[in-house]
Amino acid sequence: MPESILSVEHLKKHFPTKQGLVRAIDDITFSVAPGDTLGLVGESGSGKTTTAQCVVGMYPPTSGEIRFKEEQIGTAFKRRPKYVKGDLRIVFQDPGSSLNPKRTIKQILSIPLKVHHIGTQHDRLARMKELLNMVELPADEYLYKYPQAIGGGEKQMVALARALATNPSFVLLDEPTSALDVSVQGKIINLLIRLQRELNLTYLFITHDLSLMRNVSSRVAIMYLGKLCEIAPTVEFFERPIHPYTKMLLSSIPVVSDAEEALKPRKAISKGEIPSPVNIPPGCSFHSRCLARNGRCAEDDPAMVEVAEGHFVRCHAALESELSGHGAA
Amino acid sequence: MALLEAKDLHVGYRTFEGYLHVLNGVKIEVDEGERVGLVGETGCGKTTTVKTILRVLPMPPAQVQGGEILYRGEDVLRMSARAVRDLRRREITAIFQDPLQALNPMFTVGTQLRDILKDSMGGRDGGRLTKRDIEKRCIVALQETGMPDPERIMTNYPSQLSGGMRQRVCIAEALSREARLLLADEPTTNLDVTIQDQILRKLDELVDEKGTSVLMITHSMGVVRDLTQRLYVMYAGSMVETARTKELLACPRHPYTQGLMKSVPRLTGEGISEGIPGRIPNYLEPPSGCRFHPRCEHVMPVCKEAIPPFYAVDEDHFAACYLYRS
Amino acid sequence: MRQERKADFLASLAQRRRTLAKGWYKYSRNPLSVLGLVVLVLIGLAAALAPHITPYPAQAGAYTDFQNAGKPPSFEHFFGTDRIGRDVFTRVVFGYRFSLLLGIVVLGLGVAPGVVLGLIAGYHRGTWVEAVIMRTTDVFLAVPPLVLALAITAMLTPNLLNEMFAIALLWWPWYCRLVFAVSSSLRSQFFVREAELSGASEAHILFREMLPNCLAPILTKMTLDMGIVILLGASLSFIGLGAQPPTPCLGTMVADGAKRLPGEWWGTIFPALAIVIVILAFNLVGDGLRDVFAVEEV
Repeated sequence: MPESILSVEHLKKHFPTKQGLVRAIDDITFSVAPGDTLGLVGESGSGKTTTAQCVVGMYPPTSGEIRFKEEQIGTAFKRRPKYVKGDLRIVFQDPGSSLNPKRTIKQILSIPLKVHHIGTQHDRLARMKELLNMVELPADEYLYKYPQAIGGGEKQMVALARALATNPSFVLLDEPTSALDVSVQGKIINLLIRLQRELNLTYLFITHDLSLMRNVSSRVAIMYLGKLCEIAPTVEFFERPIHPYTKMLLSSIPVVSDAEEALKPRKAISKGEIPSPVNIPPGCSFHSRCLARNGRCAEDDPAMVEVAEGHFVRCHAALESELSGHGAA
Repeated sequence: MALLEAKDLHVGYRTFEGYLHVLNGVKIEVDEGERVGLVGETGCGKTTTVKTILRVLPMPPAQVQGGEILYRGEDVLRMSARAVRDLRRREITAIFQDPLQALNPMFTVGTQLRDILKDSMGGRDGGRLTKRDIEKRCIVALQETGMPDPERIMTNYPSQLSGGMRQRVCIAEALSREARLLLADEPTTNLDVTIQDQILRKLDELVDEKGTSVLMITHSMGVVRDLTQRLYVMYAGSMVETARTKELLACPRHPYTQGLMKSVPRLTGEGISEGIPGRIPNYLEPPSGCRFHPRCEHVMPVCKEAIPPFYAVDEDHFAACYLYRS
Repeated sequence: MRQERKADFLASLAQRRRTLAKGWYKYSRNPLSVLGLVVLVLIGLAAALAPHITPYPAQAGAYTDFQNAGKPPSFEHFFGTDRIGRDVFTRVVFGYRFSLLLGIVVLGLGVAPGVVLGLIAGYHRGTWVEAVIMRTTDVFLAVPPLVLALAITAMLTPNLLNEMFAIALLWWPWYCRLVFAVSSSLRSQFFVREAELSGASEAHILFREMLPNCLAPILTKMTLDMGIVILLGASLSFIGLGAQPPTPCLGTMVADGAKRLPGEWWGTIFPALAIVIVILAFNLVGDGLRDVFAVEEV
């Protein structure tokens, strides 16, 4: 197994609420190799955002381990060593609220620099200009602007510059382009890819847009109600999806051409509502909407099994048909 | 005669920095029973267009400088306030992006549906509907949207429902009016992909059945592909291209549309293009002539002079670009 | 290098100027707000320069001239004279001094602790820290303000200083609650989370991230409160529990003159009008500020 820069083992995060216990993350295990981009995909209640938040330290896990560069970091950010806070960074989803509207961009960028004592006062100004240049924004103009004066795409670029300010090795990207137009998205994604190469970054990329995922990540993991359903290298994930939920998700993607339409799984039309995370169905949590379910599904929660090189699935029915040598159901 | 026809609409906003000239000669046409999509990115003016049609623009900062919006021959912009209210009550209905904002959190779904039904029915049929009739119609409206267990949903508050269910309620509210024209402004943008798929299919069915005309506004090309027959592409306050949906998506002719289509990530995995260079124009000092010219790789001197009209590119396919002048 | 620092400084300055200009544009949309501001500036200047611009500065405090007592408004005495012969106009202008001083001191003493406590409570929402702070606030808010002020001034010797102290004590809970509301909703905003995750200290988060976003309601409330504080001060001195005579206090003047209504009306009406005008001016300015901070909807 290649060395991994981030590994998560049997991670669980539960939130007690008035309506009941929310099992946001319910035993997930995955790892990311250095320089890779792991894509994490899922809908509401899947737990993908909570996963990112636990990894970056917003919440301490309920149980399980998170290892970053071989070091245990499975605690809330307060207890983490400072250098980890500079090495593992996150870009949030909503550009509107991730930048303080009452601070100029210069003030916003200076925070991570000051906190991690990077450079002297003189150096910091130069570093900020360097960061803005890295994300292709004209520094002299933008340093003194307020977030309201710049567009959504540019705000995300500032958020990215802020994340890179401390020279991290790992960046979590939580839906970085979901709030943006498609023509701006291209610019940011290409920027991310280029920076990944230049600065040797590893990404955990979260999005609900599977078409985007197809073009960005090297491996894809799909979550449903706090559990991982399938993990596979990208091409394998899209061309040979095994888990019924994966197929349902793929068949729901709005595409723009006939060629893409042909790639979508045929008989996996979406049905049913996503259950509330407070009321997770017993057995396999997907069974209430699954077209391939059998007797075991309502009772036994399946385990993750490797069905091909690097391709893991968690599903009774799929396993049975794989074992019996047929194609996926 | 088209059901809805906007001609040469000019709308702007007065602000601290100056006058924002947003809509720059918008024209759009929806025929009886037709389903039209309006695609454009943030800031292109599509929401302003919808609000102008419904006449819900906040008038002090906003100003309509010119143009007309003809609904069945009558100019909406010059109608009396009462006539506009009647229009909204009986003829044109709308669904918006955020169902949580569109539904009143203080009342149950049932109360809101009944209110709307009573309001839209009042007077038109002549006869008064009994409570039982209204109740039955509400349940039917919910059932039609694919809502499971409509009786129970009627007693729920909007906050108790999931996003998809709320949007279904909004659709039920909109379609129960038996309106002729449905304006849908990003109706599924906030929903999960699998739910979006279900809702779009349902909407497709319902609109087909009732013969309602639809103007669907969105920034997602994939969403309009299956639902609409004709598509308009909007950029910086004017329409740049229009054609039958599948044709436009397969063969875009306007440089902006081409740039846009290249930027859409494909399931087939071709990688992601760099997007379109430049930014959307500043409406305070918009570019002269064609507003896309600063970003266009085919720019010619004439582009800066005057905004290009629609030129026919193919059968029923028009692009507002001097490249197609002959 | 120095070139860069200079360019940086100038650019920051330019941005600040722009923000102020935009604020003024929004403020001046409403002519009444501008009027309120003008009146306030005039009153402020008059109060500051009182000894120099009033016709009879010596008559402001201890002074008697029974020959001239009870004279109606005339050219020599714009507002007439009171029952012991002092020029009412002079006393009103000096009275403004005390009223404004009262307002500034009370708000200065009361707002700051309230804001700080509110920020802390909002940041620690859901913990015992919040509970302690907010429940203490609730206790203070449960007592009717005038009664509390009366009790405190009655316990201590009635004078201007104690009056200010008593009212200040009443004021902090309102700001605590106001700031708590804003800061607890800010708590979950991503930029606050981001600062935490970067490792910023709590002080930084409270004062550099959250406070600037709370300024709008704080400033608006402060201008509106000035009017209320002045009125409260006048009420206390009206019943004799504030600044003692011969200090020229608007409330005391109204009280004294009231005994002579309706005959010698000028002794009461002018001080009363003075109170009304200053409060109205503050309210108009407060309205204007609210317009400045209102989020545009386009």
